[in-house]
Amino acid sequence: MRRLPVYMLVDVSGSMSGEPIESVKSGLQMLVDALRKEPRALETAYLSVITFNSRAQQIVPLTDLASFQLPEITASGCTALGEALKLLCDCRKKEIIKTTTEVKGDWKPMVFILTDGIPTDDDDVLSEGISEFHAEKWGAAVSCAAGPDADKDFLDKVTPECVVELATADKSRLSAFFKWVTASIATTSKGINEQGDGATGLGQLPPPPPELTIV
Amino acid sequence: MYKNGKCVTVKAVSGKTYQYIWTDTPASGVMKDVYFAPDKSYVVAFFREQQDANSIERLENLVGRYRQGMFGGDGGGYWEKVYCWPYDLIRDGKRIGLVVPAYRKEFFFRYGSPTFDLKHGEKQGEWFTNPWHRFCNLDRRETGDWRKYFDICMLLARGVRRMHMAGLAHSDLSYKNVLIDPITSSVAIIDIDGLVVPGKFPPDVLGTDGFIAPEVYATMGLPKRDKNRKFPCKETDLHALAVLIYMYLLCRHPLEGKKIWDVNDEQRDKLLAFGEKAVFIENPMDTCNRYTVEWVRKNEPPSRFRYLLPWRDLDKLPYTVLGPYLRPLIERAFIDGLHNPAKRPQAFEWEEALIQTMDLMIPCRNAKCDQKWFVFDNSAAKPKCPFCGTPYNISLPVLNLYHLSGKKYAFSGKRVMVYNGTRLYRWHIDPKVERNEKLTDAEKRPVACFQFHQGNWYLRNESDCDMVDMGKRTPVPKQSAILLADGVQIRLGGESARMIHVQMVNK
Repeated sequence: MRRLPVYMLVDVSGSMSGEPIESVKSGLQMLVDALRKEPRALETAYLSVITFNSRAQQIVPLTDLASFQLPEITASGCTALGEALKLLCDCRKKEIIKTTTEVKGDWKPMVFILTDGIPTDDDDVLSEGISEFHAEKWGAAVSCAAGPDADKDFLDKVTPECVVELATADKSRLSAFFKWVTASIATTSKGINEQGDGATGLGQLPPPPPELTIV
Repeated sequence: MYKNGKCVTVKAVSGKTYQYIWTDTPASGVMKDVYFAPDKSYVVAFFREQQDANSIERLENLVGRYRQGMFGGDGGGYWEKVYCWPYDLIRDGKRIGLVVPAYRKEFFFRYGSPTFDLKHGEKQGEWFTNPWHRFCNLDRRETGDWRKYFDICMLLARGVRRMHMAGLAHSDLSYKNVLIDPITSSVAIIDIDGLVVPGKFPPDVLGTDGFIAPEVYATMGLPKRDKNRKFPCKETDLHALAVLIYMYLLCRHPLEGKKIWDVNDEQRDKLLAFGEKAVFIENPMDTCNRYTVEWVRKNEPPSRFRYLLPWRDLDKLPYTVLGPYLRPLIERAFIDGLHNPAKRPQAFEWEEALIQTMDLMIPCRNAKCDQKWFVFDNSAAKPKCPFCGTPYNISLPVLNLYHLSGKKYAFSGKRVMVYNGTRLYRWHIDPKVERNEKLTDAEKRPVACFQFHQGNWYLRNESDCDMVDMGKRTPVPKQSAILLADGVQIRLGGESARMIHVQMVNK
């Protein structure tokens, strides 16, 4: 069986505290509950959560949906998105199974990045993060600028033409985002677009709901 | 547009009115948004995208002519259960919607999963074709025994046969579009609106991964108008049907094996493995795609491995365990016909072979056996259950069915394995009666039953006429019994009835 790895990069800086972080937690739980009802996603999708504030941390390693449990998440500190991208690439190197003649490796991982602010890493860490990220091939990589203070220009450098925006980081908009991510994972797990080219753009994913604006 | 919870009334093209409950988060499929009627007896499914004139004509035919053709005649009611067929069309401004019956309650999980919340989830076929799902993630009360899956495959083949007879192809048969219930042995073919009519309505989807026929995958890269490009049609339905039957019965995919065609590109590897280069995992002439248990161990998560056996053990559970009627069909579907659509078995052939195979099934002697049934192989020296290995060591009468051809009896190609409680029906004794959807209630009543009593096997005549012991030329009147022994020949009714020749195995 080829696994479909999914990495969620979630901003847990101070500005996310309160309603945004609670909505992220319930959104992730809803995502897991919904995907467990999809037999193909339950079989193949593996989920990892990387959080970032002053530091980046992989709080859940790549785990199958049946045994996935969401740990407690709290929000404080700054926005080390550059470090998170570097950590993502490290995790990918460790966790992804490569195809050999004897073993069917993983599908290309999907990545969803959610942030409400401006990265606070040093410039060299940021540029390293971006170049390491671009050195890898991803199945689909989408950033979500949650609220007016998110750095859309930076996100567009990370995931060109794959940035979606929420007007504010409130419960209903974040919930709509997670529903869309859920549908995107379910669709991707089921199979492949007509062209069969494994393209990575937003066009391969279900249409985003009205709450999500494509930047 | 409306407030959530508002009941909207719409008028359909038939002139009837329907109601649905508006919500801004409708259940959504790939192409449609689905709204429920207030009493949930039907749904209104609106296409998200605008439909062109050709599509609208197809939908009009779907709820009109084709529906009438399928359900209008005698016995139409039988088919209502096999399909979830749309029955009306709504044109609400630019929006086009279908009125579709809601899925019956047996197609929703009652117990779901012991480990997570799956109650009320839809019983998509995929839950039952992956052994990790079937034997770990589902409650045991949801999964049924092996015989139930033969019933299900037979009904599915029957449903496809009926559509093909009407000149229609489903075009997207897959476990996603077939709901099954292994408790009541029910099947519902859903998502009918993509149906294809040759020369009239072309397909609008290519199908579902894993069920798309090799020739469709292989020509996917060609321009749409290229004459070599292959699209879903009746022959591709037949590929999907064969894959479904193989998967329901053996819990593995016939083409998903160990061969890697492209180490660097998973997408291309998959396209080749299911398309141009597709090879049956059990092809005896080309074993490049065949895997071993060791390979399965390396390629599946360790926690799931034990649920995958014996299904993924091709030596222990080869397709030949499906018996002599299904064996040649599997070979035609996945060896001869894999890249040659004209050779694929027709739906009616699957239906017949499944019906005949069920007559060869006997209950496992091990009361705790998970599968409870297997197809008896009377060529084996020591017959045993392929699932739990329990030997079948009691005597077993095999009935060979003969029919009158001119003045002589000829073998009908049918056999029945007898276990305690086996019944014969009209379609066993009367060569003119077929087991199909046209059976009357009278024809569904058993005409003979078999009992094991104090070490002996007896046939009891439950029909309304005498049977005849052909050796002794004595009648076996209704409600009386006759002892079965090797070589005994019994005519199962009047002059034109079939005759059985008894052969005792494990004497």
